[in-house]
Parts: sequence; structure tokens; C-alpha cells
Amino acid sequence: MKTRKLLERLVELLSDEARQKKKEREALKSVLKQLKHKEKKLRKKLEDEKNEEQLAKLKREVDIVHAQRTKGVNLLKGE
Amino acid sequence: MNPGFLTRRQGSAATMYRKILLPTIFVILAWGFWASPDFKVISAGVAIFLFGMVSLEEGFKSFTGGVLEQLLRRTTDKVWKSLAFGIVSTTLMQSSSLVSVITISFLSAGLLELAAGIGIIFGANLGTTTGAWLVAGFGLKVNIAAYAMPMLVFGVILVFQRPKALKGVGYILAGVGFLFLGIAYMKDGFDAFKATIDLSRFAIPGLLGLLIYTLIGIVATVIMQSSHATLVLTITALSAGQLTYENALALAIGANVGTTITAILGALSANEQGRRLAGAHLVFNLITGLIAIVFIKVFAWSVNGISDLVGIAPDDYTLKLAVFHTLFNLVGVGVMLPQLGRLVTTLERVIRPREFTEAQPRYLNSASMEFPDTAVQAVRQETLHIWELARDIIAGGLRLKPEQVLGSADLEQLVQRPVRGEALDIELEYDTKVKPLYNAVIAFISRAAFGWEEKQSADLHWLREANRHIVEAIKGIKHLQKNLEHYVRAGNPHIRGEYNRLRAQIAQVMRALELCHQPDQADVAILGLDHLRAELDQSEGHFSDRLYALIREQRITPPMGTSLMNDTGYAYEIQRNLIAMATTLFSGSERDLDRTQRKLALDETELAALATAEPAPSPTSPTQPSQDGAAR
Repeated sequence: MKTRKLLERLVELLSDEARQKKKEREALKSVLKQLKHKEKKLRKKLEDEKNEEQLAKLKREVDIVHAQRTKGVNLLKGE
Repeated sequence: MNPGFLTRRQGSAATMYRKILLPTIFVILAWGFWASPDFKVISAGVAIFLFGMVSLEEGFKSFTGGVLEQLLRRTTDKVWKSLAFGIVSTTLMQSSSLVSVITISFLSAGLLELAAGIGIIFGANLGTTTGAWLVAGFGLKVNIAAYAMPMLVFGVILVFQRPKALKGVGYILAGVGFLFLGIAYMKDGFDAFKATIDLSRFAIPGLLGLLIYTLIGIVATVIMQSSHATLVLTITALSAGQLTYENALALAIGANVGTTITAILGALSANEQGRRLAGAHLVFNLITGLIAIVFIKVFAWSVNGISDLVGIAPDDYTLKLAVFHTLFNLVGVGVMLPQLGRLVTTLERVIRPREFTEAQPRYLNSASMEFPDTAVQAVRQETLHIWELARDIIAGGLRLKPEQVLGSADLEQLVQRPVRGEALDIELEYDTKVKPLYNAVIAFISRAAFGWEEKQSADLHWLREANRHIVEAIKGIKHLQKNLEHYVRAGNPHIRGEYNRLRAQIAQVMRALELCHQPDQADVAILGLDHLRAELDQSEGHFSDRLYALIREQRITPPMGTSLMNDTGYAYEIQRNLIAMATTLFSGSERDLDRTQRKLALDETELAALATAEPAPSPTSPTQPSQDGAAR
């Protein structure tokens, strides 16, 4: 391992802030993964739904989950 | 320990204990200091040693609220793991008292099973025996005071630092330094004592000596509240020849039994689980002590055999004492571990939960206030308890049964059924059930939040908000009830229909929240609530159109319309409060995941923008985020 990388690791280990940031990033990835799974399931349900009212509700739910994912991705990129 | 949470009987017992014991100890010590300067040195050694223990505990406590709790949660799902946790944590922290207090605290907050807690206590008993090895093998063989000095200097400098971790390390270093210094003083004191008084003249041989010295060990440990201190005192006295080996063995047995006092005192304020754990600790140490007393000859013979085997000199009594201490605790674990299931059942039968009325807090006690995470968990559990009571009140106000609200039957059909009987007295229900608990939660949070880490204080802030939302929802249902009771019986089917619609809507939100609360939904539960909020906004928009149409078409009178308009406001406020409450209360156990979800949750503007925007692109769209979060 290069000295610089080793130093970075050391800083990460000693710094509370760096450790916290890493934890937050991991949490964000985990939530995004679950949201993706949820959206996939909702879209599948949407395809099979015939009832108009339910269809509109499901569409709204898909939109919301998608917006939450987009917000998460932007947050991940911005970090 | 916070005396405010002790019962009056327990409180007065503790006060009596202090009132009688403390002056007696002071008088004896003062006489001792006057009679012998060497006794003064030994006592100062004990005092410095105990101060070291306090400092060490303080240091380790500053690391709680993170690593220790995480470890405790993850490594206690099997008995052998909890046993290992007890051994390792006590070996590292050199304090079985701190391990017992943490365990009681976790049990009280419902974060740990009783069997796992008992496993930890068994392990702690084994872990604490490493102390005797350290003192006998290292402390007496080298000039320990020389190591103490730099530790104290570095430790104290670190204690004055601002970062919590450095402060914690400082306390630990200073603690170890004081322990070493205390041991050195005790050693010097006993060496000097030898020249003036020969304490070994008071040695009592045989069974009588065994019993008397066991009792002395118990009393000394109860007074000092540290078996470690008794053991170190015994080892240093033994090394100075002021104590016979046989009597030292008895003192070690006594120290083991006496150490249960810490857990018993810690459990006084705990719930039944904490008291059961203290019971298990007492049973374990009594049985282990009894086995050691009954089979003392077998143990002495085994200690000699083991000492020969590992190369301990026959006259190295201090190390032999360490072997004995480990051996009889090991035998104790060997005997008691197979009986763990039976012990748990017996303790559960003998120590019954206190009788709680609905208005009494179940989780808020001073044991759970000991550590930040347990305090947060206790408030969360109590708030869930309040929510269960509030749910019944709200369901009653809607003229539905709780099981109907939470069941799967069609709510729109359920609300069509005729309403019969007396209306629920919501004010009385609130005053007698919810309000006392709400008061207790607020009082607990005010006491617990002082001087804590930001993350736990933030958790408590959100939980206080959750409580406020529950109370607001109850107030809302009280306001709604007056007209609801009138119009659900009204002859006009339109106004009746509208009020039934409100009933079904609130019940629907309660049902949806309950689904969010399921364990498999915990990781994205908070985000799932955005959908409910959007649905609420949508239906609020539709309501106004429908209301004006009803008045315009003269299906309802204008007074009916204004009542409906006001009550719809209450109904939406109730639903908003319930959703806001769930955002905090139904979150998972991982703080980072919850915080991330709160960051991703959509605010009012984002939800409004979404209501007017184009539908989301299909999964194959180029802007679709990929699994790891990067846009494809």
C-alpha cells in the first residue's frame, strides 16, 4: 500500500468526522438499494393493476419512491 | 443512581444503610490511623486503588453510546457469545461492576434477553479473575509505582482535553495509574506493618477460619463495593506474610460472594429483568462459594497440581491464590451453565413483574437512564406504550374497535354499520391513561438529556415530538367527536356519508402506519410515510370540491357544511400528527439508517411539485439510478 493511502486510512481511523461520513455513505447506499427493490416491486404491481383508483395510487407511490431515490443519488454524488 | 426512581421502601433502606455504615467506617478508620501509621498507608493504598477503579469506569463509560452497545447487541445472541463477551469485557475493563451495571441497564431497557444477561454475568465472574493474575504475576514482581507515575501524568493531561475520546483515554490511563499506585501503597504498607504487628498471629486454621475469613471477605467487599480491591488487599497481605494461604483462599471466596452487592444495588431501581439478573448473580456466586468451601481440600490439591504443571513455585502463594480464584469460578461456570434454562425459569417464577396500572411507566427507571442508548430505548418503548393506549382512544372516538382498525376488513363498509351505545369519554381516558405517562416521559427526558452526546439528545428530541403528536391527535379526536357523534346518526345520508368517510380515512392511516411498523419494513419505514402524506394532500384537495358541490346542490345545509369544514380540518390534523409521530417512533434500530431516511424524505414543496409533474420514467430509462446509487 502506498504511503499516501496508508496515511489516508490512518486519518480516517483517527478522525471521528471521517468515520461518521463513511458510515453515513454506507447507510445511504443501503437505503438506496432497498428503495430500488421497492420501486421494482411497485412497478410490477402497477403492470398487473386494473382498478383505476388503485392504479392512480400506485403511480403516485412509484413517483414518490423514484423522487426519493433521485434525491439520494444526488446526495451521494454531492458528498 | 437517581433516588427519584427508587420506591420509598428501597430508598429508606438505602438511606439507613448509609446512615449507619458510613459513621461506623469513619470511626474505625480514624482509630486505625491514630493507632498505626502503616495502617494509614494501607488504607490510602485501598482508597487510591478504588479511585482508580472509579476513573477507569468513567473512562470506559465515555466510550458507551457506541462501540460497547453495538458489541453488546451483536454478540449476545448465543449463550457462549454472551459468556465470551462477559469474559473479554471484564478482562479489558478490569471491572465486573461496570459490566453488571451495563447488563442490568440493557436488560431494563429491553435490549437484552435474560439468558444472555446471565451468560454475561457468568463470563464477568471469570473475567474478573484475571485481576488476581495481573496483580500476583506482575504487580508484585516489579516496581509498579514506577509505571504508575507516567500513566498518571499522561492520563491527567488527556483528561483536560476537549475531545471525548481523548478524555476517555485519559480517564482510563489515570485509572490504571491510580490502580498501580494503590497496589504499591498497599504493598509498602504491609511490608512496614510486618515490623510492628504480625497479623498472621490472628490466623484461624480449619473450618472455623474458612468460614470467618469468608465472612470477612464478604463484608470487606460489600463495604468497598469491589471484589478487586479485596483481592488485591489479600494478595499484598499474603505476599507480605501477614496472612496465611488458607485464610487468603477464604477471603477470595468471600470477595466473590460479596461482589454481588453491586448488582443488587444496581437492580433496586431496575425492572423485573434487572432484578432477575441480580438474583442470578447472587445464586451463581453463592453456589460457587459453597462449592469452594465444601471442596476446599480438593481445590487446594488441584491448585498444587496445576501450579506444578505450569511451573509456579510451591511457595509462590500469591500466584497459587490466582490459580484458585480462576479454578473455582471456572467450576462454578461449569456447574451453573448447564442449569441456565432452569435458572431463568425459576427466576421468572420467583421474581414477578411489578403490577402496573395502565398509567404507570414500564420502562422509565434509573437503571435504563445509566447509558445514553438504553435511555433512548426506554423512552421509545414507553412512547410505543403511549401510542398503544392512544390508538384505542382514537379508535373509540371514531366509534370503531381497535381490532377493526388494525384488522383487514373493509373500513368503508365497517363505518356504514349503525352506531350504538354511549360515546367514549376521551378527556377522562386521556387524563387517566395517557397524560401521566406523557408527564413521566417528559420528566425522564429532561433528566436524561443533560450533558449527553448530540446524537442521543437528538433522538430524545424526536421522541418528545412523537409524544406531542400523539397528544395532539387525541385532542383532535376530542374536538371531532362532538359533531361526529351527532352526524353519524343523522337522517341526511350525505352528511352521514361525509363523516363516515372521515372515520374511514383516519382509521385507514392508522392501519397503514401499523403496516409500516412491521419488522420487514423497518429499513424504509420512514420513507414509506411520504406516500401517506401525498395521499392526504390529494384527498384534502378533492374534499373542498365535494363540499361546495354538496352545499350548491342543497344536499347538506350551510351549517352542516361549516361543521364539516371545521371537522375535516381536525381530521386532517389528526392524520398529519399520526404520520409525524410514526416518522420518529416507527424508525428502525440503526440510527444512521434513520437519519438517511429523514434526509431522503420529501418535504411539502417536493410533494406538491410531484403532484403536478410527469410520471416517473420506467426502470430502463437512462436517468434511472443504479443499484449502488450512481445514475445509469
